[in-house]
Amino acid sequence: MTVEEAFQPDVSRLGSPAWGGFDPSRTAGRGWPDIRRSFATAVRLGWQMEANWTDPILFFIYSVAKPLASALILVVMLEVISGGSRPDYRAFVVIGSALWSFVQSGVSGLAWMILDDRERYRMLKYVYVSPSDFMAVVFGRGVARIGVGAMGALITIAVGVVLLGVPFDVARIDWGLFLGVMVVGVGAILAIGLMLAAICMQTRQESWSYPEAVSGALFLVSGVVFPLAVLPAPVQAVGLLTPLTWWIEGIRRALFPGGVSSIGGPGSLFTELTGAAEPGPLTIAVVLLATGAVATLAAVAVFRASDRRAKDRGLLDQTTGS
Amino acid sequence: MSTTTRNAFVYRPTASPQAAANWTPRQVLMTNLRTVIGRAYPRVRGLARERSWVFFEILLPFLATSAFVYVYRALGAPPQYIGFVVLGGAMTAFWLNVIWMMAQQLWWEKSQGNLELYFAAPMHIMAVLFGMAFGGFVMSSTRAAAVLIIATTLYGVSFSIDQWALLLAVFFLTLGALYGLGMMLASLFLMWGREAWHLTQLLIEPVYFVSGLNFPVGRLGVLGSVAISLLPLAVGLDAMRQLAFADAAYPAGTPSPLVEAGILCVMVAVFVGLSRWTLAVLERRARQEGRLSVRWQ
Repeated sequence: MTVEEAFQPDVSRLGSPAWGGFDPSRTAGRGWPDIRRSFATAVRLGWQMEANWTDPILFFIYSVAKPLASALILVVMLEVISGGSRPDYRAFVVIGSALWSFVQSGVSGLAWMILDDRERYRMLKYVYVSPSDFMAVVFGRGVARIGVGAMGALITIAVGVVLLGVPFDVARIDWGLFLGVMVVGVGAILAIGLMLAAICMQTRQESWSYPEAVSGALFLVSGVVFPLAVLPAPVQAVGLLTPLTWWIEGIRRALFPGGVSSIGGPGSLFTELTGAAEPGPLTIAVVLLATGAVATLAAVAVFRASDRRAKDRGLLDQTTGS
Repeated sequence: MSTTTRNAFVYRPTASPQAAANWTPRQVLMTNLRTVIGRAYPRVRGLARERSWVFFEILLPFLATSAFVYVYRALGAPPQYIGFVVLGGAMTAFWLNVIWMMAQQLWWEKSQGNLELYFAAPMHIMAVLFGMAFGGFVMSSTRAAAVLIIATTLYGVSFSIDQWALLLAVFFLTLGALYGLGMMLASLFLMWGREAWHLTQLLIEPVYFVSGLNFPVGRLGVLGSVAISLLPLAVGLDAMRQLAFADAAYPAGTPSPLVEAGILCVMVAVFVGLSRWTLAVLERRARQEGRLSVRWQ
């Protein structure tokens, strides 16, 4: 069933009220069903924009090549130095780089939606003035890109387990921790993406590289491919305030229990502050929830403020080609 | 137009409009040189005018480089490996410039509506590509130098160079081959729509991997050998590492820097020649299929 078929407007209610005036309640829309429909349409549109430029096989190769190559770079670096004597660290880098494709796609997806629609397709103003909830559309487009990132992450982990000898046992998975951390973590990723989308609404076309720069900075402080303990203490502190650090640690702990911790360990700020060797599942869940909530609230506030300023300054229909 | 404003590029007395259309070799040469300068100008001037470029163009590769430095530190790697990463991080500035601002540029110009103006102007499109390459080289050099200086200072990298002349020759040959490849890809991307954007993305991490951006490419075995024979980044980086860290133990398995300089010479000739040929062929095909002015496909 297509979206167009699903939506059946009540034609009899489209005319003027019997008393002949304007009924403002009609502009309010139908609330949640409208938002859901806008979101679903945006997801569908986003997926088609991501996927229909080529045939499925090439699209599949494209989707997995990037995260897989990132993981292989780290695996070869590890092999060059350790000569295969650190299988625990191999699992650490494979999982970290696989999960990072989620972050990259989520963070860049929302920001690039703004830039794509404003600068390239020049549709942002039309999307904005449509009855759809603008934030729902932005999220929908971003979710499609996260889907592509998720596919790359899954394949990278599968290649790691099957070909690179990453130890994996389905029976040892902590499903509760995995599901809880995944839901909150993806929410935090979308929040960071929303914040960048808000920033890109204010900036010019050159901001294509901003999401990459931000994800590069977060890559450095989130314990993705090396434990935070090797960083200077102030940088570790920044990392501990980032929800992505706790998300990645939680997923590692849930899927590969007993592996290297990116947060704790000798020389880490976490161990110094808490005295614990590494954070437990409850600590991970609570801190992730707290940092994720702060990131989400901040993102919504920044997006609303950016939205108001963009309308005020006429930035929604301003193309800044260079 | 008054007589005083006329110059050799736009005016010369002729007997007829047909004769005016037959440009002298000097006019053709000077117009193409002006095109090179004109196309390089926005990239060079943009460095000063768009400050956010400087910040993000330096920050982005520096952060990525730093992450890989810390990976090696976490593994307790020998110091020269930190140097390998720093050198690789500096060279990424050129590779990113080649694929984003060379290969993809004509497609981007098409989306902006400028491409038809390029083809309608009385200049050779190769001059536009040379201008893009020169401007991009200047632009990326600042990035690469900043990353190299900051990372070298911050992470305490020490170079040991015996053959400065060969190192400089390899560096410029690598850039020549890289921008030649970029010109060739730009021609190929004339035919594509959104595929160009996605294929550009595909040319980042996989190329980093097979080029041995953060480790000696010889460690990849046959794959490394193939990369050395096809990718300027792989062969140039390998030669520069051998020359810049002459006192360090370098893994065997790749040719000597002199041989790799020879490979780069061949690459420069092949890529620039191929770019001219592909541009001619694909421009004709793009005209026939009406793709030069199709936007947002």
